[in-house]
Amino acid sequence: MDRAAFLERVREAVATVPPVELPVAFPRTPASGSHADFETFRASLAKNNGLARSVGRTELAGAVTEVARELSASGRTVVAPDVLGLYGEEIERGLAAAGTEIVRPEPGAWRDEAARADLGVTSAALAVASTGSILIVPGRDHPRVASLLPPAHLAVLPASLLVAGLEDVMPVVTAAADRSSAPVLITGPSRTSDIEMTTVFGVHGPKVLRVLLVEEA
Amino acid sequence: MTPEAEVYRRFEDRAAKQLRKTQLPLILGKATDSREVRRRETFAGFDLPALRDAAEAVRAHTMANLDTYLDRFAERAEAKGTKVFFAATGPEAVDYIRKVVADRGARLVAKGKSMAAEEIELNPALEADGVQVVETDLGEHIVQVGHEPPSHITAPAVHMTRRDIAQLLAGHYGRTLPPEPEALTAFARGVLREAFLRAEVGISGVNFAVAETGSLSLVTNEGNGRMVTSLPPVHVAIMGMERIVPSFRELELLYPMLVASAIGRAVSTYLSLINGPRLPGEIDGPDELHVVVLDNGRSRILGGEFRSILHCIRCGACQNVCPVYRQVGGHAYGAVYAGPVGAVLTPLLVGFEKAGDLPHASSLCGACTEVCPVKIPLHEHLLGLRREVAKAQRPTGEVLMFRTWAMAWRKPGRFLLFARLSRLGQRLFARRGRIRKAPFPLSRWTKGRDMSPVAGRTFRERWRRGLRKGGA
Repeated sequence: MDRAAFLERVREAVATVPPVELPVAFPRTPASGSHADFETFRASLAKNNGLARSVGRTELAGAVTEVARELSASGRTVVAPDVLGLYGEEIERGLAAAGTEIVRPEPGAWRDEAARADLGVTSAALAVASTGSILIVPGRDHPRVASLLPPAHLAVLPASLLVAGLEDVMPVVTAAADRSSAPVLITGPSRTSDIEMTTVFGVHGPKVLRVLLVEEA
Repeated sequence: MTPEAEVYRRFEDRAAKQLRKTQLPLILGKATDSREVRRRETFAGFDLPALRDAAEAVRAHTMANLDTYLDRFAERAEAKGTKVFFAATGPEAVDYIRKVVADRGARLVAKGKSMAAEEIELNPALEADGVQVVETDLGEHIVQVGHEPPSHITAPAVHMTRRDIAQLLAGHYGRTLPPEPEALTAFARGVLREAFLRAEVGISGVNFAVAETGSLSLVTNEGNGRMVTSLPPVHVAIMGMERIVPSFRELELLYPMLVASAIGRAVSTYLSLINGPRLPGEIDGPDELHVVVLDNGRSRILGGEFRSILHCIRCGACQNVCPVYRQVGGHAYGAVYAGPVGAVLTPLLVGFEKAGDLPHASSLCGACTEVCPVKIPLHEHLLGLRREVAKAQRPTGEVLMFRTWAMAWRKPGRFLLFARLSRLGQRLFARRGRIRKAPFPLSRWTKGRDMSPVAGRTFRERWRRGLRKGGA
């Protein structure tokens, strides 16, 4: 149907509906924040079966090595270019120490390489203390598939990007609407309860989620 | 049988069939209880009445200005290269999507969960064109393999046991599979991963469409929503036209309200925000994004008495607490939307002739109304719809019966005679204190319910015999 005609029908239907004001503020929800501190974030993420660590910049390489040793058995890791821009030296050194090779796909080959990798490392634009969520903003230097196809996902971000609650996410998401085609708020590993309400992890996305919050010295 | 009686028969027959599956209420009870318990735990310590008021206000405001917000959504989405199609009817939507799929020469479509797609019967239409459609939500995939419709909004295979599921998948894929959720899920991951990577078109539903930025949002836990909207070169999203919010700000409220009401967590694993097709320079994402905005009867509801049913955010909490749904399951409703929300929405969407019986599939206990996160007065709507259906269908037999009954009860002498005759007559039918099968015309009542027999002595008889002292 033509858009104008469609909307005209809607307009006629709502013409007699009394107006209702949009609330200016909302009551606290189970996702609202209070403290933007690491311990709150760690506990919230743990409840959602993800692990978070707070590390100093000098400890980052070692922490990456530990994760790679545990989760990258075949030694194939894809790393989003943007996080290499931030912490390239530490991540490369950390992965090398675990005997893991960074796969560097051609622009058109990201999907296939990410599907073959067993670890994806990315940046995150925010970490949310109240819910244990991280906001991933894919773009020019950040393929969507890096946090989607490998069975394990490691996000590395500055501790300064930790916010208190979901209310702090929405302005960031609004600002990113022109810059990224598909931001995603991720809370823990992929899960399902579709068979007898039994929770199983890793049904489509990663089975394992790790987050490193990096404190600047 | 008169046509009116036909209408009233359908839910009863379907329910009777479901009730023969003796384990069904047990499975449903366990599943829905666990969700309801978690819902309450998640909201404990929060001002739920205030949250519901706010959520209701957001929905009511948006619906009252739906034309403005839809227009804004379309304009902003198109500015980012998204193609927005307005479909007045299901067939219009189906034809548009068939054309998008055909233009790509697609043979395989990976589909995420979408109630709207079920509503317009999209899959059979695409399959008739020779396109394979793979449902990728685990529960949806299971019911697809079993050639069944989903039976719960957020848990499509809730009516099946792990053994049912293992048998079904094993038969379909020609494998031996153990009846273990872990193993079954791992197996599904493998076969569905293949579909994501090969599909030429991804089709998804929409949880909230954001007017201010022309964005879509998808709430999932499995990650299949991210897959179908990221991997295939074309993404088609289909949404009922009421699925809109003014801006991302309102998601701060509605998103946790949806997730907490549905599964008792503060947030889902994934909240995918889709702002448009892949931007120039972005590494991945579909190069085409189509949004189909569906009316299909909604504009008839929008200005009327039952308009708040369009506030529904599809959490399924009303199904979890409904004493009727918990016994008979989603399939008894014979419609895409089951439970209390379906019993209201379905007759309004498809008409009283087809679904006028559904408002009767309720005890009117009001548990649904109590848990609804956007405060839809579901049981009041059910009652209102019964009135409307009765007006439209005028069940003459029933009217006559109630008139006779009223006549019999209006005078003390007649009432006593009625009681005595009933007492005499019911001896043939009462079994263990209940009447389960009565003769015509009362059989119409006892077909779907049982009833108490008339008491052995009337109150007046007992009063005369002075039993009041003993209280018995």
